[in-house]
Amino acid sequence: MNCLDYRRVLLSGIGESEAMRAHRPACASCAELLKEHAAFENQLRLALEVTVPAGLADRILETAPASGDAATRRTGFQGRRRFLAAAAAAVGAIGIGLYAWRGRDDPMAMACIQFVMKDEAKSIMMGAMPRAEAVRMLASSLPVERLEQIGQIRHIAPCPFGEGTAYHVILMVPQDKVTLLVMPDTSMPARARATHDGMYASVIPLRKGSVGIVGANAAVVDSVASAIRA
Amino acid sequence: MSEARTDAGFNEAVRAYAGDLFRYAYWLARNRQQAEDIVQEALLRGWRAHAAIRDRGAVKSWLFSIVKNEFHRATAKDAQRAGGAGSIDAADLEIVDERASPFGMELRDALMALPLSYAEPLALQVLGGFSCAEIATMLETTEGAVMTRLTRARQALKRLVLPVEVKERKGEKS
Repeated sequence: MNCLDYRRVLLSGIGESEAMRAHRPACASCAELLKEHAAFENQLRLALEVTVPAGLADRILETAPASGDAATRRTGFQGRRRFLAAAAAAVGAIGIGLYAWRGRDDPMAMACIQFVMKDEAKSIMMGAMPRAEAVRMLASSLPVERLEQIGQIRHIAPCPFGEGTAYHVILMVPQDKVTLLVMPDTSMPARARATHDGMYASVIPLRKGSVGIVGANAAVVDSVASAIRA
Repeated sequence: MSEARTDAGFNEAVRAYAGDLFRYAYWLARNRQQAEDIVQEALLRGWRAHAAIRDRGAVKSWLFSIVKNEFHRATAKDAQRAGGAGSIDAADLEIVDERASPFGMELRDALMALPLSYAEPLALQVLGGFSCAEIATMLETTEGAVMTRLTRARQALKRLVLPVEVKERKGEKS
C-alpha cells in the first residue's frame, strides 16, 4: 500500500482496509488525510440528510391498495363508474362465483399465477414501455383505452411468457390491484380458471388472442373479466 | 407465505426505509415534490410485487432499485418539460437544516451541482449504506466503475467547497 493507493481508496468512501491501517502509522500525511476525510464524510452525511416530509410512510401505506382482506384496509384510489357497476354485479353473484373456482386448475391460468408469484417483480424492475407503443401493440387484442376505462394502468411492458411474448399490465381497480397478461398470439376456446396459494386467475378469449387476469380476490378477478368482455 | 405476513413485512419495510428512499429520490430529482411523487409511485409498484420477493434480506436494495427506476421513468416522461429533473424550486431553497454549518450549506449547494452520474452512487453509498458491489448491481455497471464515480464525486465536492489554501496544500488545481 502506498500513499496514492491509500488516498484513492479513501476517496471512494470504502472503509479502511487492513493494508491501509498498516500503512497509516508510518505516514503522517495519510494519517492527516484520514482525519480530514472523516470530518468531510460527517458533513457529507448531514448535507445529504434532507428533511423528510412529515407522515410520508403513513401516507404511502394509506394509499396502498387493499389486500384480500379489503374490509380492514383503506384505499386512497378513486373508483371508476364502469368498474363499480361490474363489481356490484359480481359481488351479488359472489356465492355462485366462488363455487365456480373450485377444482378448476387450467394450466394456462396456473401459468399466469406462477408469473405473478415468480416473475412479476423482475418485469416491474425492467421498466415500463411507452404508452404510445403499448397502444399500438395491443390495439387488435385488448386496446389500452379499454383498460383505462376499467382501472388505472400502473405498469405495462412486454415480457416473455410461455413460448411467446405477453404484455404484462398492472391495473389498479377500486378494491385491489390485478395483473393482466395480454397474449395476442395465444387463442383460448373458452374461459379457463385456476386458483393457487391464495391467488385466482382467469383466462378469457379476446377478439385476437387472450388475456390472463390474476388477483388475490376472486370477486375482483371476475369483475375485471366481466368488464373486459362487456 | 401468507398474505397477512407479506403485507406486514412490506409495511415494516416502508416504515423503515421511507425516509432514506425519499432522500435518495431527492438527490436524483433535486426537487422535494417530485421526490415524494417518485417514492409514492415506486412503493405502490413495490406493493404489488412484494409477495414475489423470496429473499427478504434483499428488500432494501430492491426498494432503492424501484425508486431509481421510477425516477428514470418519470424523467423520460418529463423530458420535454422545461425545468424537469435537476431544477430547484423555491420551496426547496427555503428548507434549511439547523444542523448545517456554513460549510455544510456550501456542501449542499455543491451536491446540487453534482452530475447525476456521481450523485446517484454517492447517495446509495452514504444514505443507503450499500457496498460498491451492491451499487454496481443496482446501477448495472462494474464495481470498478462505481469506485471511480464515487472517487470523482468526492473530488468534485471537495474542489467546490474546500478553501483554496487547503486545495493548494493538497496539490489540487482549482
